[in-house]
Amino acid sequence: MATAAPAPQAGTAPIGVVPASGARQVWRRLRSQRAAVTAATVLVLLILIAVLAPVLSAIEGQDPTTYHDALVNSASGGVPHGSLGGISGVHWLGVEPGTGRDLFARLVYGSQISLLVAVGATVVQVAVGIAVGLAAGLGSRLLDQFLGHTTDVMIALPGLVFAIALMAVVPNSFPRPLLLMLVIGLLGWGGTARVVRAQTLSLKELDYVAAARLGGSSPWRIARRELLPPLAAPVITYAALLLPSNVVSEAGLSFLGVGVRPPTSSWGQMLSSATTWFQADPMYVLLPAALLFVTTLAFTVFGDALRTALDPRAASRLRVGVRRRRTKEETA
Amino acid sequence: MSSHPLAPRRLAALAALTAIAAGAAACGPKSEDAGADATPHQGGTLTILNQTPQTKFDPAREYTTGGGNIPGLVFRSLTTRARKAGAAGTAVVPDLATDIGEPSQGATVWTYHLKAGLKFEDGTPITSADIKYGVERSFAPQLSGGAPYLRDWLTGASGYQGPYKDPKGLSAITTPDARTVVFHLNKPEGDFPYLATQTQFTPVPKAKDTGTKYQDHPVSSGPYEVVSNQNDGTTLTLKRNPYWSQKSDAQRHAYPDRIVVDSGLDPAVIDQRLATGSGADADAVTTDTNLGPAELAKVNGDKELASRVGTGHFGFTNYLAFNPKVKPFDNQKVREAIAYAINRTSVVNAAGGSSLAEPATTFLPNQATFGYTPYDPFPAGRSGNAAKAKALLAQAGYPHGLTVTLTASTSDANQDGPAVAAAVQDGLKAAGITVKLVGLEDDKYQQDIYSVASEPGMFLSGWGADWPSGGPFLAPIFDGRQIVKDGYNFNSAQLNDPSVNAEIDRINKITDHAAAAKLWGKLDQRIGTKALTVPLFHPVYKRLYGKNVRNVVISDWTGVLDVSQVAVK
Repeated sequence: MATAAPAPQAGTAPIGVVPASGARQVWRRLRSQRAAVTAATVLVLLILIAVLAPVLSAIEGQDPTTYHDALVNSASGGVPHGSLGGISGVHWLGVEPGTGRDLFARLVYGSQISLLVAVGATVVQVAVGIAVGLAAGLGSRLLDQFLGHTTDVMIALPGLVFAIALMAVVPNSFPRPLLLMLVIGLLGWGGTARVVRAQTLSLKELDYVAAARLGGSSPWRIARRELLPPLAAPVITYAALLLPSNVVSEAGLSFLGVGVRPPTSSWGQMLSSATTWFQADPMYVLLPAALLFVTTLAFTVFGDALRTALDPRAASRLRVGVRRRRTKEETA
Repeated sequence: MSSHPLAPRRLAALAALTAIAAGAAACGPKSEDAGADATPHQGGTLTILNQTPQTKFDPAREYTTGGGNIPGLVFRSLTTRARKAGAAGTAVVPDLATDIGEPSQGATVWTYHLKAGLKFEDGTPITSADIKYGVERSFAPQLSGGAPYLRDWLTGASGYQGPYKDPKGLSAITTPDARTVVFHLNKPEGDFPYLATQTQFTPVPKAKDTGTKYQDHPVSSGPYEVVSNQNDGTTLTLKRNPYWSQKSDAQRHAYPDRIVVDSGLDPAVIDQRLATGSGADADAVTTDTNLGPAELAKVNGDKELASRVGTGHFGFTNYLAFNPKVKPFDNQKVREAIAYAINRTSVVNAAGGSSLAEPATTFLPNQATFGYTPYDPFPAGRSGNAAKAKALLAQAGYPHGLTVTLTASTSDANQDGPAVAAAVQDGLKAAGITVKLVGLEDDKYQQDIYSVASEPGMFLSGWGADWPSGGPFLAPIFDGRQIVKDGYNFNSAQLNDPSVNAEIDRINKITDHAAAAKLWGKLDQRIGTKALTVPLFHPVYKRLYGKNVRNVVISDWTGVLDVSQVAVK
């Protein structure tokens, strides 16, 4: 990796200089990291798969919900006929035990739900986090204390237990993916709020912010015009690390039976129904598990690279451009 | 599973049983030196690995069918179930009594005579007063848990509060002498001998009764007595009762010297331990853990494991229930359309495949003892008849299909969860019926579907009877007088048809079980045409047992390996 020394924590480092020096420079720094390029390619592919799920299933000639009773061995618990979970030219990744539903179609359609919920939940977490963090950083001491303690409580809460409870009490007519998004999002904004508050506290002492305040700008205007732009870098970085954990949260909730409702598939739902089959039909477990692993890894690697690219001091160690030759000489 | 090899197997099993009975009559089972497989080995320790602890180990508090499996080792009652494999095991036979009961006055009075020489574990003789006291105890509020029949059936018992509050006892039970006990009922009940298999008919010596503490060490009348009972039945250790004799008990064998019940285990752990069979697990069985579809697929791939699977048929029906008070299920045509549209192949596969579920078209389980009469009021083959369903929907006023809601549990453990619900959904899709699934957490699901106030329009349900007879199978579901407005209601369709009620009363009077069974079958067929339920499948139980376990007997009454018959090598 390019970052030999531990990168400074995005949340705690005081921002002394104006951070990002233009999108183009960030892009160049990102491009220079091979891991980032690979991770981004994987992510683009995954998003394409999710978006093109109907097209991909149509090319295969299958859909995610149709039962194929003849493809499973009913007398033997419904294990798919054939080797490797019934992989064939017709069913590219085999079929689901018990139902004979096409696994390829279920996986690609499942990626829609899994990615959508993860992205949606991240947006909610970031939006609430920024709002609470800014209010705490700019507001009165009382408000700061109140919001600070609220944030502490949110971080300390056993999120999974609360999520299960919330999912159970909401009426059944409420769309499930949206509910998953909201529950994961509204329970997980604590980290973002802390990062934003810390940054706000150090930013508002800077001269240009003080100047704006003296010039008579309202707190709302200061937040919008002076604070949000420099906050973008740490928040984007933090969001890139929140995403993979949200993918896992969705899988976890669906795994516990409070996620999506049948016949909808998601990676978590598939993992959940596959757990008992790991000995009899390993492919059924391996497919969603592998996808979940790849997605989480790609998001994490990309998030890490993004942080490096957005942080000028870490980025300087990347030696982009002029110093490239020297780097070569050193490694040679 | 085909039915062809059934007949020879049944014969073989019968032959084996007669051999054992003969051995028992002579001098009881011999030890190792006896012939290889002819007589099961006596001695050793049998381990029982279970999920659910044997809580409330008090004969007054047990809710059992046929006296239970583990409770039956310690508690004997007036009658019991025949310890025979398959259909022969659905018969009721004498236990402490000399016969299954003498009915008189139109089956309202039942008289029992105790066998001679019966003793408790402390050597004191068992008398008719102990039986009467045992029944009376079960009325005490602090010892609740048993089936409600005694309170409903015994004359003047509805308000009785048990012998602690009311020491005069129940006048409906009389004991003319030390070996005779007579029960007076408020209505004719031909099935009384089946009720008398339950542990409430177990003798309890009044002098040894310690109230709610009695469950720690109940006084045994059966082949084993309690050594220790830890954490309310989580670990239960039993040893031989020296005062029990095989001569007085034609049903139980009690081959092992000790029995250890180890419960509170995870089902996956139980299956894995039985499959591996190391140490004491080689001598182990389970009475409450079925093989799931994935485990079955794994076991089927291993010959040695496959040879250690016991298959049982407990009379049970999983069905789709309608609430005709909710639109559009008030329309019989809609209900019929759904009955035609169901794809039973998908549903059976979702329930674990053809080895774990048999497609059902009758409400009564597919066993003669319930009065099973094969019929299908809405014949649509194994995979449903979408065209016929569509035609019926058009007649009902839904030519362009309709959208309905199906309520199920969120757990697949009892085959009433998302897997079966999604299979029903897929079948109805072909007939133009869009099904929205509602999954409820299991406790909430049970609460909602069994309450008149919150009952959904269409839901997955299941029913098993307290004993293998058509009465307790049909009456709670279809008898209009059993609709419970403020409590658990099982008559989901809220059917209150005077002619059905009258027929139930008429059959209940019949003491000849075979004759009654025929009439239950006919009644089932008659109710079936109303499409108040759509029978989906009858589950089949498959359970692993340890390497050294011998003499496996699984009756159709319980569907479970009988621990009173098991021997360990």
